[in-house]
Amino acid sequence: MNKDNEAKVMDRRAFLRGIGLGAGTAGAAAVALSAGPAAAAQADTRESSGYRETDHVRAVYAAARF
Amino acid sequence: MVPMVKAVPVAEEDLLRARFYGLLAALLASPPDTEMLSRLRQLEGDDSPMGEALTRLSQAAADASHEQVVEEWNALFIGVTRGEVLPYASYYLTGFLNEKPLAVLREDMAQLGIARREGVPESEDHIVSLLEMMRGMIEGSFGEPFDLGCQKTFFEKHLKPWAGRFFADLETAGEAKLYRPVGAVGRLLMQIEGEAFEMM
Repeated sequence: MNKDNEAKVMDRRAFLRGIGLGAGTAGAAAVALSAGPAAAAQADTRESSGYRETDHVRAVYAAARF
Repeated sequence: MVPMVKAVPVAEEDLLRARFYGLLAALLASPPDTEMLSRLRQLEGDDSPMGEALTRLSQAAADASHEQVVEEWNALFIGVTRGEVLPYASYYLTGFLNEKPLAVLREDMAQLGIARREGVPESEDHIVSLLEMMRGMIEGSFGEPFDLGCQKTFFEKHLKPWAGRFFADLETAGEAKLYRPVGAVGRLLMQIEGEAFEMM
């Protein structure tokens, strides 16, 4: 990665963490929101949104996730 | 050939992205249960646009009961003959369900090695499915995390052309109360993601 690219990556990161998705305490709250008990909600989502890996391409994933 | 470094954990901003995608997918897939509602109530936003949308979401959750959000979700997404919004890429891009955008998405999914779970009635271009695919690509639910270039291509092809309009429609849907700020969060996430990918 050259210096230009590195600078761009940092810009993007700063943007996402700052004015983008940081949202102050909300950012942290959003993290907490779906990091913990929301696992159940995410499992539900997986059921209803419905996708799975195809066996032949990316066979390696934690089965427990689905 | 230099081996790719695989041990790098998902960066903080990417975890944030993944969690916003996951949160939206969860709220759109089914109405939040009482536990989810109480967690939504604890959200606190700053005065940024996303912060304000999260604050409104928190307030809407505080005003809502589980029964009300079930009713609201049904009116929005199921309806008697159809819901108030139709959250499918094909519908937004062509005016009809199951048209070419779905076929193109299926081709890309096959290439990426992602397939729909068996027994799921919604087609793959449903917003929840696309949000969950973005989340999975970021977090590495499909094996390794997908690189940003791949995420960008997928986002720009399958979400950017329509998802912002869908979330804006959700924001102004007549039946929406809790789902107004959900629409705002989604619209802002699409905007922020679009801008962030432009920086690459």
